[in-house]
Amino acid sequence: MILFLQSLINGILLGGIYAACAAGFSLAFGVMGIVNLSHGDFVMLGAFVTYWLFVLLGWDPFLTLPITLAILFFLGFFLQKLMLNRLTGVPPIMSYLLTFGLHLVLSGLALRTWTADYRTLNTVYTGLNLIVFGLVLPYSRVATFLFAMVLILGLYFLLYRTEVGRAIRATAQDGEMARLMGVRIFRIYAFTFAVSVAITGLAGSLIAQTFVIYPQMGLPFTITAFCVVVLGGLGYVPGTLFGGLILGIFESLSTTYLTAGLSMALTFFLLLIMLLVRPGGIFGKGILE
Amino acid sequence: MMGIGKRTLVILSLLAVLFAVLPALGLEGYRLRLLSLVFMWIALAGCWNLMSGYTGYIDFGPVTYFGAGAYATALFMIRLDLPFFVSLVLSGILCAFLAFLIGLATLRIRGAYFAIATFAAAEALKQIVLEGDRVVGFEFFGGSHGLTLPVPPPSEFFYYFLLAFTVLVIGISFYLERSKFGYGLRAIRGSEQGAELSGVPTLSLKIKAYILSSSLIGCIGGMEAYWLTYIIPEDVFNVLRTIQMVIMTLLGGMGTIWGPVIGATFLTLVGEFLGTKFVYDYLILLGIVIIIVILLLPRGIVNLVKSKRGGAQ
Amino acid sequence: MKYLECRQVTKRFGALEALRQFSCAVEKGEILGVIGPNGSGKTTLFNVMVGIYSPEEGEIFFQGHSISKLPPHKICHRGIAKASQTIQSFLEITVLENLLIPAMYGKNLGAKKARAQAESILNFMGLQDVQDLPVSEISLAKRRRLEVGRVLATGAELLLLDEVMAGLNPHEVEEALRVLQRIRQDGKTIILVEHVMQAMMQFCERIIVLNHGEKIAEGRPEEVAQNPEVIQAYLGRPYA
Repeated sequence: MILFLQSLINGILLGGIYAACAAGFSLAFGVMGIVNLSHGDFVMLGAFVTYWLFVLLGWDPFLTLPITLAILFFLGFFLQKLMLNRLTGVPPIMSYLLTFGLHLVLSGLALRTWTADYRTLNTVYTGLNLIVFGLVLPYSRVATFLFAMVLILGLYFLLYRTEVGRAIRATAQDGEMARLMGVRIFRIYAFTFAVSVAITGLAGSLIAQTFVIYPQMGLPFTITAFCVVVLGGLGYVPGTLFGGLILGIFESLSTTYLTAGLSMALTFFLLLIMLLVRPGGIFGKGILE
Repeated sequence: MMGIGKRTLVILSLLAVLFAVLPALGLEGYRLRLLSLVFMWIALAGCWNLMSGYTGYIDFGPVTYFGAGAYATALFMIRLDLPFFVSLVLSGILCAFLAFLIGLATLRIRGAYFAIATFAAAEALKQIVLEGDRVVGFEFFGGSHGLTLPVPPPSEFFYYFLLAFTVLVIGISFYLERSKFGYGLRAIRGSEQGAELSGVPTLSLKIKAYILSSSLIGCIGGMEAYWLTYIIPEDVFNVLRTIQMVIMTLLGGMGTIWGPVIGATFLTLVGEFLGTKFVYDYLILLGIVIIIVILLLPRGIVNLVKSKRGGAQ
Repeated sequence: MKYLECRQVTKRFGALEALRQFSCAVEKGEILGVIGPNGSGKTTLFNVMVGIYSPEEGEIFFQGHSISKLPPHKICHRGIAKASQTIQSFLEITVLENLLIPAMYGKNLGAKKARAQAESILNFMGLQDVQDLPVSEISLAKRRRLEVGRVLATGAELLLLDEVMAGLNPHEVEEALRVLQRIRQDGKTIILVEHVMQAMMQFCERIIVLNHGEKIAEGRPEEVAQNPEVIQAYLGRPYA
């Protein structure tokens, strides 16, 4: 019983991070219809930024979160202006291919610059745990889970309670209409993509404290993000929280009761079943067309 | 427009015969293998084009079937002692079935799902092959040690096999350019809703195209397994194969007959010339090439030539 | 048995009710017009009829069979086709090939017959001079004609024409009406959505008026034009 609960807790903590990781993906897709195949690479970049700041300057990874946020925000803004702006109005095929190319460039550059070595981020509190009713809750995991929640709530707040957020949602629903109402679409696109990349990078920072860091870590996270978003509904940002939790719990339980090595295969299996049976996600609000 | 030009047909037949006769005329060793390699990539890129080029639904995981075909063929030959061609055909059927499942799940909704799900499929299958033995408890897939196949026939066998496959794939492309099936696929690419409204059963056609593309790729994978004699997951499920199929077709021109041919020939020869295999720089370069092609030359080389010619008219 | 019948059709998009309890019946060979201010649900109605959307409530019957749950291509095979204002042509292929596709798939013809059918529609719509050009290179008026041609090529007996005259100058509108007359003489049934009022009034036998997804009036053009609710819907309260 304890094993099950421990597994469940692990899953929830993991799920929060997955949700944070997928939020940016859902945002970019919901607003701009861009399926970003390089998504995971921004997780990787966020992780590396946090890692190097800690290793080279000794700055605590939680304290450097705003820095990561800022760096990746500008990266996203820059990428949008340079490349992705040309993709609006063009068939979606192009965005898949372009972001795929971007994925190759980013992961290739990372490989070249930092080599394929696995790295871990170990702070003074990395190994310390909170023990509750016999269940082990690592401090850093709990903290990252809480930050992930803050991230998601922050995004929710941005989208539903600010002027900019309203403009973003209007653009997502109907770009033409939004433009006619005075919304500067390209600015919104750039901003939205920048936000998407920024929060993904932030998720990467959180992930850096729990997972192994290496240049090709991006790919599994792109697939994870996609899975979360299918579970929660593509383009439906609130759904990503639940999608993340479900995936986290599913992976944790299957790791405990089956085997760790097949996580990607099982995730894919879950994905396939989801797509066959309920492609709009658990809430049925996913964008299908 | 509907009938294939008599002159084109004659020229192509002569070329096919020429290539078929080359080994007898003394083509051997390195050059034979190089030409075989070119044929293989033309066939692979051409198969990828059948689905992604003609329907517009981008398949990001063709290597799933390459690997599946390789492993299935190897397993049939090793575990069941079946002859090569029987194993190959069975592998093709297996791939067709897998493609049907994945296609049914992902092709009913927008292309994004198909793109990413196929992306994930390759990783998933690779994992199953790598870890499967540990889960079931006995030696089947061979894990990271890989599998060793029976001794293959000499290189000429594979040369002819690949030449035949290339002819097959180009032939299918010709067929697509002028058949009802082909028009249906291109309608889907042009406007899926328009196609549906014109009576095209889009889901059925998409799945058929995907099954066709995937089972052929699976067969080529099976052949490769036999040729290499020793396969490991990292090699036959290597995402680099997907990347190369995509780039070759993109560069040459998606949805055209000659696009994959030009792209594959060019990139294979360039790759051989530069001597690059799996180097980080190569990946970065490929990524940059994709980005540049998308931004500047989205229709590929073939269409660049076509529009220049069209303009002169 | 009515030719086409909608019974209490309701279509929702999230909280928005685009069509509410809509019912109507269409006779074979009739020319029916549907009018209403922007956003009143006209395009949604067509999209539901043709299978792009499935209604949340209600049903649609065509020649006695329920079609509400069928995919668009099956509805096309049954004989209903829609021409959109956002053109559904296949931009990169030639005009003739654009007509080949519906002929092959909508009417289920073999290659030779499909080609003959496509050519005959090509001539009927007056597009011979551009037959080998890709659609991206022809004018708007011609694209509109191609769109109607596409619908005809499917062999459909019931045509839904959604604002096919939008953006045409008066001369082009006259031409379009002439083409519609000939289509009608061929025995087809037409449901027409247009903003070009004078065309609607002179061409349609019966008109249905939609507002906010509901039918607010139905009858002969003269009756509908004088209906106070209709006037209010278009021009606002003060004019009622």
